[in-house]
Amino acid sequence: MLSLLILIPLAFLLLMNFLTLKGRRMAFAVVMALSFFQIYAVFCPTIMANRPLHGLASVFDFTLAVDGLSRIMLLCIAIVIFIALLVAAPFVKEEDKRFYFAGLMILELMGLNGVVMVRDIFSMYVFWEVAAAASFILIALQKKRDPLEGAFKYLIFSSVATVFVLSAIAIILLISGDTSFAAIREALRVSPHSFLITLAVGIFLAGLFMKAGVMPFHGYLPDAYASAPAPVSILLAGVVTKTLGVYTAMRIVIDLFGFSASLQSILLCIGLISAIFGALAAMGQKDLKRLLAYSSISQVGYIFLGFGCGTPLGIAAAIFHIFNHTVFKSLLFVNAAAVEDRTGSLDMSRMSGLASRMPVTGTTSVLASLSASGVPPLAGFWSKLFIVLALWQCGHYGVAATAVMASLLTLAYMLLFQRSVFFGTLEKGLEGVVEAGFGLTLPAIILAVLIVGIGLFFPYIVHTVIFPVVSY
Amino acid sequence: MPFDILLALIVGVPVLGSFVLPLAGRIHERLRHSLAFLLVAFSFLAAVRLSSVVFSGQVVRFSASMPFGMDLSFTADGLAVFMALASLLVGLVIVIYSFDYISHYANRNEYDMLVVLFLGSMMGIVFSSNLIFLYIFWEMTAIVSWRLIGFFRGKTDVQRADKAFLVTFGGALVMLIGFLMLYQKTGSFDLGVIKEYFKTQAFPSLALILILFGIFSKSATLPFHTWLADAGVAPSPVTALLHAAVLVKIGVYVFARLFIATFPIGAVWHVILPWVAAVSSIVSAGAALRETDLKRIIAYSTVSQIGFIFFGLSLGVEIAIAGGLLYILMHGMAKAGLFLCAGIIEQGTKTKDISRLGGLFSTMPLTGTAFLFCAASVMGLPPFGGFFSKFLIFLGCVQGGQMGLGFVFLFAALMTILYLLRVFTVVFFGETKIAAREGTPVMVACVLVLAFLSLAAGIWVRYPLDMVQQATTQMIRVIP
Repeated sequence: MLSLLILIPLAFLLLMNFLTLKGRRMAFAVVMALSFFQIYAVFCPTIMANRPLHGLASVFDFTLAVDGLSRIMLLCIAIVIFIALLVAAPFVKEEDKRFYFAGLMILELMGLNGVVMVRDIFSMYVFWEVAAAASFILIALQKKRDPLEGAFKYLIFSSVATVFVLSAIAIILLISGDTSFAAIREALRVSPHSFLITLAVGIFLAGLFMKAGVMPFHGYLPDAYASAPAPVSILLAGVVTKTLGVYTAMRIVIDLFGFSASLQSILLCIGLISAIFGALAAMGQKDLKRLLAYSSISQVGYIFLGFGCGTPLGIAAAIFHIFNHTVFKSLLFVNAAAVEDRTGSLDMSRMSGLASRMPVTGTTSVLASLSASGVPPLAGFWSKLFIVLALWQCGHYGVAATAVMASLLTLAYMLLFQRSVFFGTLEKGLEGVVEAGFGLTLPAIILAVLIVGIGLFFPYIVHTVIFPVVSY
Repeated sequence: MPFDILLALIVGVPVLGSFVLPLAGRIHERLRHSLAFLLVAFSFLAAVRLSSVVFSGQVVRFSASMPFGMDLSFTADGLAVFMALASLLVGLVIVIYSFDYISHYANRNEYDMLVVLFLGSMMGIVFSSNLIFLYIFWEMTAIVSWRLIGFFRGKTDVQRADKAFLVTFGGALVMLIGFLMLYQKTGSFDLGVIKEYFKTQAFPSLALILILFGIFSKSATLPFHTWLADAGVAPSPVTALLHAAVLVKIGVYVFARLFIATFPIGAVWHVILPWVAAVSSIVSAGAALRETDLKRIIAYSTVSQIGFIFFGLSLGVEIAIAGGLLYILMHGMAKAGLFLCAGIIEQGTKTKDISRLGGLFSTMPLTGTAFLFCAASVMGLPPFGGFFSKFLIFLGCVQGGQMGLGFVFLFAALMTILYLLRVFTVVFFGETKIAAREGTPVMVACVLVLAFLSLAAGIWVRYPLDMVQQATTQMIRVIP
């Protein structure tokens, strides 16, 4: 039944084209319904059970499987797609653009779901490209100069990543003779330490690092995030780079290659560089969305730090942080969208004291900022604490201490952001600003409730959701 | 009501209740005020009720199980209850004073919520017997003080608020690394387990230094003291709350909780730490002598007095520890009184610059008297409360045989008298430069109450001293 999560979006994507002009206005509602279905599906054991389909549908059967990690990713994808659609209304105004937008969102949903669920390295690559292609077009949807530039940069970087990943897949195919995970595992077990395999792992990960936008492979990311329309930024920061880069890396390392000492040190090194330099770069930004983009790089660094431990606790912490990052970063982008919608600008030097005019946006942004900085008792604190605990348990004391102090940098740029946008006296010329519309405050409130809720009920979340992930 | 539930409620009621206040404020201003008062008063009365049990020698515990040794557990022993009483008493007066003080500013809903949340988190710190929850409540106070210091929303206000947040957050993170070291050694964040473990093992010096970073940054001890004076831009009741009564005492309290009540520290620290405290005390007293901003003077005075408290607690002599604890109460009341008087003066004259003030005694006799009483207590003049705490610390110093340190602190005490007398004479005597009227009745009543308490605590010093003695004995001798 897992293929439903791919087949239903596909069916809707095709059928939508038969809608009349009037019916096309319902396109957003269709995608929202799809994301709701996915949230339901994640918690529904019948759908999550992997039974093969019969009849005509069996033509589309892939090697699909879900474990705890995939389920959390599916949940993140559904939440972010839903939020992005709620936010989209003021940013995608033309009737036909809206229709395209909805279609591309479905395509994105399908691609990401595929990446998360397939257990065949070539199919994974195909879905990977589906999702990437959808994001290029989404960024450039408005056909303006900056978005086109951002999309182009993203395209170029992605192509290089594609070349890397495809070459790695080719080498793997050479060794194993098959592309399914099971066959590759079998082949790697027979000859675990050959030069070719090391080469394949290296190339594969290099491609994925580019996709994840970790330093020093991050060149495209701030441009792509900042130039994209607000809902697309949410999508990119929330799930696209996380799924295509981080999740895929975790999947192939955990399922196929396994951890080795050198791999761990590469991951830790990349993680540390991203966490620190991402935060430092964020501090120098004047554009709100660029600041958030660099913050994203920094947080992905944290995820790699947890993942790089290679221990169950570390991996669980990394997954927990992926989820938390999705929530707080989406929220921050929603806040940025609200600010952009009401003031028409994202230049932080030209705004101040907006919290008094936009109380919901202001309050939720404080929660998101503090969660990102790892201030207790919010959700981000727990995942960061677990990452640090995992590092400490592995004996990486220096890395753990540096990771802790990187939180201070995070807080520093988050306070800078708060000070220049929300906290402070109201800037002249902004007296007429009012709170953003329902489509922007509702997602902000939903996400803020998630942040506080997960922070307060973390024992429950950790026991029922996060730790089962690594108990395979 | 079972006492463990009561203990959980002391923390839970203000923390959770504070979030209702903005909603109450939308209905009616007075409803929010009364609710804020009731929440804090509830905690205070519950702490009073608890003290009757705890000071008869019992220890009350509350705990709820969590993974990774992060149990939510509260313990009420003599030290915790004494600290809770001291801060809630002052907190309660400050809450009442705030009603009139902030009545004409914006963001009043946020203000009341934050103040109550602050006192609740403070109770969390005081009663937590688990390092992670201690840390959580510790950071909650940091978040709240960030918003409160930047309450007026001006550019400098917000910058200084950010500064305070970053300094204390940075210190707390270093402290967290120290906690992680303890966790690695003992496998638990629970203070009871940690205490058992270090009965036989030596305490790692690195962890001690790391934790001290956090404590010093929160207590604004040299070299982390600058945020405190800068935070004087906050509304006066907030400075009273943060600088005098509660926030800076958190560091001191956690020092007592960890390094006296839980694990013994090496003998060398009983020499090093008093010297750090001495330098902090002297330097900030010098700064207080030179400043001309009324609130900055009082803030530097706080840094200096915190040095005295650290001095008492770190000497490793029982009577000095008792003196240090007593000092927390006496200084809290008197210093809060000084800040609140400063608030009345500031609202009346619209300035904090003492060179532009003078002759206020003729128009503000009540505030002037209250200021004098509180100042006398901080100076340590008998029969005010501050005298006894200072005396006990010096007694301990003599008993410990550290005469050199004793003279340094005697000098610091002399400087305290100097700068406080200077402020008092400049502001209240001489020719009148800016005419001002007395503050509102509620505000004046509040400072008078604090002044009276400072005097009463000296006259009936037997009662607080009893509590302090029991708390000290429990910390040092009795193994629960």
